[in-house]
Amino acid sequence: MIKIIIGDRIVKSFGEGDEKRNVLDGVSVEINEGEFVAVMGPSGSGKSTLMYALSGTDNVDGGKVVFDNRDLSTASENELSDIRRTAMGFVFQQPTMLKNLNILDNIILPSMRDNRKNAAKISEKARTIMKRVGIAELEKRDITQVSGGQLQRAGICRSLMNNPRIIFGDEPTGALNSKTAEEIMDIFSEINADGTAVMLVTHDAKVAARTERIMFMRDGSIVSELKLPKYDGADMDGRVEKVAVKMREIGI
Amino acid sequence: MYNKIIRNDMIKSKWITVTTMIFVAAAAMLVSLAAILAVNLYGALDTLMTKAKTPHFMQMHAGEIDTARLTAFAKQNSNVDEFQVVEFLNVDGAQFIFGEKSLANSVQDNGLSVQSEKFDYLLDLEGNVINVSDGEVYVPVSYMKNNTAKVGDKAVISGKEFTVAGFLRDSTMNSSLSASKRFLVSSSDYAEVKTLGNPEYLIEFRLKDRSGLGAFETAYANAGLEMNGPTVTYALFRMMNAISDGIMIGVILLVGLLVIAVAFMCIRFTLLAKIEDDYREIGVMKAIGLRVSDIKKIYLAKYAAIAAAGSILGFALSFVFKGMLLENIRLYMGESKYSSFVYVLGIAGILLVFLAIIVYVNGVLKRFRKISAAEAIRFGTAQEKSAGTKRFTLSGNRLFNTNIFLGIKDVLARKRLYITMLAVLVISAFILIVPQNLYTSISSKSFINYMGIGNYDLRIQLSGNIDNVDDKVSEIVETVKSDQAISKVAVLTTKTFKAKMEDGSEENMKIELGDHSIFPIAYTEGKAPAADDEIALSTIYADEWSLKVGDDITLAIEGTEKDLKVSGIYSDITNGGKTAKAVFTDDSAGMMWSIVSAELSDKSLVDAEVEEYAAKFDFAKTSNVDEFVTQTLGSTISSVETASYAAIAVALVITVLVTLLFMKMLVAKDRYSIAVMKAFGFRNSDVKAQFVSRSLFVLIVGIALGTLLANTLGEMLAGMVISSFGASKFDFAVNPLSAYLLSPLMMIISVLIATILGTSRAGQIKIFEHIKE
Repeated sequence: MIKIIIGDRIVKSFGEGDEKRNVLDGVSVEINEGEFVAVMGPSGSGKSTLMYALSGTDNVDGGKVVFDNRDLSTASENELSDIRRTAMGFVFQQPTMLKNLNILDNIILPSMRDNRKNAAKISEKARTIMKRVGIAELEKRDITQVSGGQLQRAGICRSLMNNPRIIFGDEPTGALNSKTAEEIMDIFSEINADGTAVMLVTHDAKVAARTERIMFMRDGSIVSELKLPKYDGADMDGRVEKVAVKMREIGI
Repeated sequence: MYNKIIRNDMIKSKWITVTTMIFVAAAAMLVSLAAILAVNLYGALDTLMTKAKTPHFMQMHAGEIDTARLTAFAKQNSNVDEFQVVEFLNVDGAQFIFGEKSLANSVQDNGLSVQSEKFDYLLDLEGNVINVSDGEVYVPVSYMKNNTAKVGDKAVISGKEFTVAGFLRDSTMNSSLSASKRFLVSSSDYAEVKTLGNPEYLIEFRLKDRSGLGAFETAYANAGLEMNGPTVTYALFRMMNAISDGIMIGVILLVGLLVIAVAFMCIRFTLLAKIEDDYREIGVMKAIGLRVSDIKKIYLAKYAAIAAAGSILGFALSFVFKGMLLENIRLYMGESKYSSFVYVLGIAGILLVFLAIIVYVNGVLKRFRKISAAEAIRFGTAQEKSAGTKRFTLSGNRLFNTNIFLGIKDVLARKRLYITMLAVLVISAFILIVPQNLYTSISSKSFINYMGIGNYDLRIQLSGNIDNVDDKVSEIVETVKSDQAISKVAVLTTKTFKAKMEDGSEENMKIELGDHSIFPIAYTEGKAPAADDEIALSTIYADEWSLKVGDDITLAIEGTEKDLKVSGIYSDITNGGKTAKAVFTDDSAGMMWSIVSAELSDKSLVDAEVEEYAAKFDFAKTSNVDEFVTQTLGSTISSVETASYAAIAVALVITVLVTLLFMKMLVAKDRYSIAVMKAFGFRNSDVKAQFVSRSLFVLIVGIALGTLLANTLGEMLAGMVISSFGASKFDFAVNPLSAYLLSPLMMIISVLIATILGTSRAGQIKIFEHIKE
């Protein structure tokens, strides 16, 4: 198994002096290539902070993060930008789109930074992906003219544009109704089936139950882990039950 | 509650608050200064002209005078209150010696006078009528300003020794635009030197009713009385005295208005940005039932505080600077009698600025009405239509680098916001270019062509009342023509003719005869007279008699009538602006004066040539044209030059401050999109490049519009300033290197520096702080 991310005793603290507290208290975590993982935990447990630390979006105060054999803690800000742009994908809870650009332009934006000359090719690729996630007809719409679910699909399209090694999702279904959330999770499953690793932060047991490994966090530490077989569409209720039992067991 | 809201808001946006306040203070200062100066000018001028009892009508006359006939005319005209003839002894400039200095290079007609008996008094610097003792001389105040003489100096005038007892204000001849300057001596001293100069006469009247001046002028002209020289009336005296300070006040007011416009733009920008930020809150306030006027008050209060503080600061500053600017008025005209009004008007000025800001803010806040509470709460932002930019898409973009594309796209999508910055940059470009072009224009060699003077190097003027003048002119022409150093010569002779008016009356008209093609001047309309039956008129003649190019005019020459067609109209500042030019030959009447003008092939010889001819033809006045221009326009040119440098500095300061302010605000406003772009792998340098392309895009449009405006509106405004000197049509002489290359370059560099400084915080924006829920 090739490890694409290794987090080694990561420490991240907020505040100063007496107020100082560790949001990540020496967390170690590894993610394998093509793996589908979830991080669960109550608010303030540090799950989002862990994701930002692992993706090099936020620097760490202790320990180190290695992505694809590169130590992110010693990388320059520009190198971090380049890694995020070329090897990672991001999907957030709120659709993080630029107001001035239409849907298609928002999707191709990160790819266009380096390959303006290939605009036609890039747009073609975007259309293919949009078709796949079911928003082919929306390319010319403004971001205010589509629904939340459609925006989230567009966000996923954007994250796929540069063929990332891993996609990070911070509560990607948090703002959606359950039917739409399920559709979005179907897309994530499909992406993962194609070989892209996916790491989701969520507090929704149904979302976590789609993945094959769930890390449970509390007070800045991973307190437990649950492994599930790869999801094949069957026995969803059983998987959700297993997650729920684990959650009760550790009291979150 | 308002206090607290305002204080918090100002602390949060101290940069913006301070910058806006600076512009308000500058605007208030300039408007207050303009008001203070205007009151002082008006008051001081009034005091001067009242105390001096300035004549309402003055006819200058060289040659014989029939005082009895004039007295009879004055007695018989019912409107005449007082009448007097003042003698003016024209003395060559070289005959005035103050210590080491002399007035040899002066282009003014310097002369001696005694104190008038009834009116047109010469006043001392305290404003009192001077009583001069024997052996004393009072010197025109302009020679104090240029340090020619000081009190106590020994003076030698026409060989007689005097002591400079003081300086005088002359309500008729103070201005540098007035061609003559009177030195005051006692009657017995005057009698002693009288034989050494040419006496001229100032025939002066004060009228009972000044509104009857027009009728009086006609009556004087029709009576066929002495009029070999310029005619000047009360209004012209006033204008000549007021003009240089008047222009300064005009310029200050204009700059003040531009700064107010800049302040407005800053307010508009910050307010629009603030409204956008507070969109949801405003919606909530509306939804819970607050009235629009209540919400407006919160915003208005902040700007009222800024405007009040800025205005008071500006008022205080205007008192710091007023002394400096009042110096000239005080020197030439003395104190104003309305000094108590100064405070009232200064305060009125800043109140005006204050009110203008309140009204403007109120206008911008009208937008609140349009905010839909429901929409604001649901979307949190204005659902602005970015019409016209839909087709400008990233997927269709082949032309620009992605960062440049994003910069331009942002400007196009948020036109309303950027138009504010554009307006400021247009104003800056305007301020940068117009004074510069004005300076280039008036300092260019051809500028005097607008004022009725050709491009020659030296001129020799002979008065018509010297003996055998025709022979002397011929002698000069022959000498000059045989001079190897001289490449071109022209002789122009001015004579008085009677022109027949439409109503059958006749008026005296001065016509300059000769070949006008040798040293051409600029014509407002039409062209120089070429044929015998053509005549060109100065603007003042043409206006007075309502004549246009192509119209006919009839002259009466020794009983026969001569019809002439108007071939052109030109501006003239010489001889009171009433001149005409024609080419026909005339052997009839005696001439008033003759001018031999010449151009040198080697300009470095001008001084030597002038000296040589001045010595050779001591009966004529030889002068260097450059010297003439320097002395009449020199101070104006140098103040315009200073103003143009000041304008460059002001424009660049405005550019930097406003760009800095806008960029800082934009970074604060766009922190979310910056975080998004950074999350998706855009580097800090990409974000900077986007901001730089935003401001450069706006700047390029701004420079283009500013340059266009400068060359149209600016040229018109400059033309108005120029026309106050007598020139009516005016085209900018542009130095393309500085106007089209250096100036834009300076603006681009300023904007670049300001943008880079203003966006320095963009790099510190933390992605997770803005994206994390």
